[in-house]
Parts: sequence; structure tokens; C-alpha cells
Amino acid sequence: MSDYLEVANDPMLWIMALPAVVMVGLQAIIFTKRAFKASQLVSLTRKEAMHAFRAGAISAIGPAVAVFIVMLGMMSVIGAPLTWLRLSFIGAAPTELVAAQMGAEALGIEFGSPEYGVTAFATSFWTMTLNGIGWLLFCGLFTHKLESARNKIAGGDTVLMGKIGGAAMLGVMAYLTTGHLLAGGGRLIAAVVAGLTMAVLVKISDSVPALKEYNLGLAMVAGMFVAVMFV
Amino acid sequence: MDNTKNNDIAYENAFTKPIIRAGRYTLLLAIPLSFLPVIYLWLAHGAIPPLGAILTGWFLIVSVYGSWYIVEPVSYFPILGMPGTYMSFLSGNIANMRVPCAAVAQEVLQVEPGSKKAELVATIGIAGSIITNLIVVTIAAVAGNAIIGVFPEVVVDAFDFVLPAIFGALFVMFSIKYPKYGVFAISVGLIILGVIRVIPIWLVIPICVFSTIGFAVKTHKKEKTD
Repeated sequence: MSDYLEVANDPMLWIMALPAVVMVGLQAIIFTKRAFKASQLVSLTRKEAMHAFRAGAISAIGPAVAVFIVMLGMMSVIGAPLTWLRLSFIGAAPTELVAAQMGAEALGIEFGSPEYGVTAFATSFWTMTLNGIGWLLFCGLFTHKLESARNKIAGGDTVLMGKIGGAAMLGVMAYLTTGHLLAGGGRLIAAVVAGLTMAVLVKISDSVPALKEYNLGLAMVAGMFVAVMFV
Repeated sequence: MDNTKNNDIAYENAFTKPIIRAGRYTLLLAIPLSFLPVIYLWLAHGAIPPLGAILTGWFLIVSVYGSWYIVEPVSYFPILGMPGTYMSFLSGNIANMRVPCAAVAQEVLQVEPGSKKAELVATIGIAGSIITNLIVVTIAAVAGNAIIGVFPEVVVDAFDFVLPAIFGALFVMFSIKYPKYGVFAISVGLIILGVIRVIPIWLVIPICVFSTIGFAVKTHKKEKTD
């Protein structure tokens, strides 16, 4: 069991993981630069653009800390460098662990059992990699087609386009929230308390717009802590 | 009128086209790069599974997630927009991070939903969230085990509930804007997940998303004709 972890924590693996991680950061920088360049065309000021960046960066802290905690468990089974790669990249912790499991099963070995050695680890990582390319390939090839499909549906009506975005958001969030509501217990409490807190914060931030940036973070913290108190 | 048209063309040339090009290159180039670790494991450690095992693993994982490769991009596209889709499906953590961050950035700047300005703001907001994620994940990978001891246990436990809290809060935030869609969407969710229960999960997301979009398009057209 421990011998594959030695390989999994081989320092050279950090270097092997680096190019893909850099690609993620590089793309974010390229897109941001493009957006700043195009901003005067839609009367977005530099100050507003900086504000948008800050809002995105701050709002990601809570979810990123959650990833941080999950990561520690994942590092203990697939090593630090490849956990770093997989969680900077397409996929999320549960997806990657299912892939690791499937890889082991493909060899007829149980993930985490004493037979799980270096080859089994390699199979797990092949499976994670091959899984990730599914999304990359589809989005790399077809994202621009989705754009033309949406334009056709909305027919240049930006009000409708906005409504479609809102409806899609509510569809996704309704699905994701319902799972937690039906699970009951702490998850139900967290969803309901965070939702109610958000309702109050939206009312307050109508008169205190500076608060808007923190609404989601505050609602999230309220939901999490009330849930943990009750469980 | 001519001016807005010129502006549209300028935007297309300054933003839309270059983003499609860059998005496509970065995603397709990321594919070979993601294979570097497995190639290294093979060359340096001789750790290469038999081809049959690689293919079996691939088959197994595609049977679990294969439909998501298409369903997720299509379902999230109306929320993330074109640039947001390229970014989110390279960087992952979509529902829990990219979607909320795009929404908050747009909310803070009060942009008109569906406009070009909204698209730029979402792009920049998502980029901000990607940078945060890279920093946090890197710190965790390098020093996570040393840092975790600093957090009190109750804080670590509270993070078990981060997902229901984010989703519940975002649902309410958007329901206040579009109350009718909110009621419709949650009813669909409850009926499918609570009552019917047999529909496979990968079908539930597109059903929730596209039925709510259908409802929105229908009510919008009705409001217009009334």
C-alpha cells in the first residue's frame, strides 16, 4: 500500500502536472485581458471590471476552502502532485475518486486494498485522465455551436436571453437544492437557513449596495454554522 | 441604429472571435498536457497497465459520466455564456464555484441579464474565481496537512454543509428576481426527485433546466402579446 504512495509523491510528478495547471491560469489571464480590451465597447469601466474580478475572487474563497478540506483526504490516497492537478482542472473530488475506483476495478483490484500497487495507481490515473478529456473534447469542439443555438432561440431578444439565463440558473439550483432538502438533517437546515438569510440580505442590500458582494458568502456561512450547531 | 450595428461587429471582432479561438486552443491543448503524468509514470517507473485494463477503465468511467460530457455543457451554457463555458470546463468545480462567482459578479455590477456587458462581467468574475482556486489548491497541496490543524474542529465540520448552503442561497437570490420561474423549477425538482424518483440523474438536470427555460420562453411570449 505504501510503496505506490512513494511513487505517487515522486517530486517529478509536480513538474509533470505543472503544464496543465499553468494552462488553466493562462487561459483565465488571456480571457480577462480580452474582456478588458472589449470593455469600452459595452461601456464597462476599468473600475467596474476590476470590481467584477474582485467579486469573483472573493466569492470563490468559501467554496475553495471546502475543496481544500476534501483535498487532504484525496492526497492521502493518490498523493499530493496529482491531487493538485486534478483539482485545478476539470472534474471535482467525487468525480476523480469514482474514476480512481473504476481504474482499480478494471484491473480487478479494490481501491485502497493491500494489492493496490503502482500499476493499479497508474490505471486509476489513466481513468481520471480519460474521463477528463470527455468534457475538454466536447467543449473544445462544440462550445461555439451552443452560442449560435442560443442566439437562434432568443432571436436577438436580449431581455429573453436574460430570462433564459435566469430560468436555467433556477432549474440547476432547484435540482441541486432539492437533493439536499430531501436528504433532511443538517443538509436541509443548511439549505433553508442559507436561503432565508439570502432573502434578508437581498432586502438589506437594496439600501446598502456595498453589501451585495458579500451576500452569498454571508448566507453560506450562516447556513453552514446553523447546520453544524444542530447536528 | 447603424452605430449599434457597428458596435456589434466591433465586439464580435474584439471579443467573441478571439475567445472562440483561444478557448478552443486551450481546451484541446490541455488534452495532451493532461497525459504527461501517466506517461511519466510509465517511462520513469515502468507503471503501465495492460491496454485492456486502460480500455476497461475508460469504458467503466464513460458508462458513469459519458452522458455528462454533453449534458453539463449544454445545461450550464445559458448560465455561463460562451467564454464562461470554455473557462469552466477547463477548470472544473462548476456548480459550486464558477456559477456562483459569475452570478455574484453580475449582481454586484447590476448588469442587464443577457447583455454583452453581462457576458464580460461573468468572464472576469469567473477568471477571478479560477485564480482564487489555483492559489488555495496550491497551498493545500504543498502545506495542507500542516494548515488544517489550525482550524477548530467545528469549522472543518461546518464545511460539510457548504454545498446545500450555496445552492439554497443562490436559489433564493434568483427566485427573488424571477419568482414564477423559482416556483416552477422547485416544483419540477421535487416532483422528479421526491415523487417519481426513477429518472436517471443525468437526465434530471436537463429536464429541470430546459423545462424551466421552456416555461420562461412561454410566459415571455405571452407577456409580449398581452
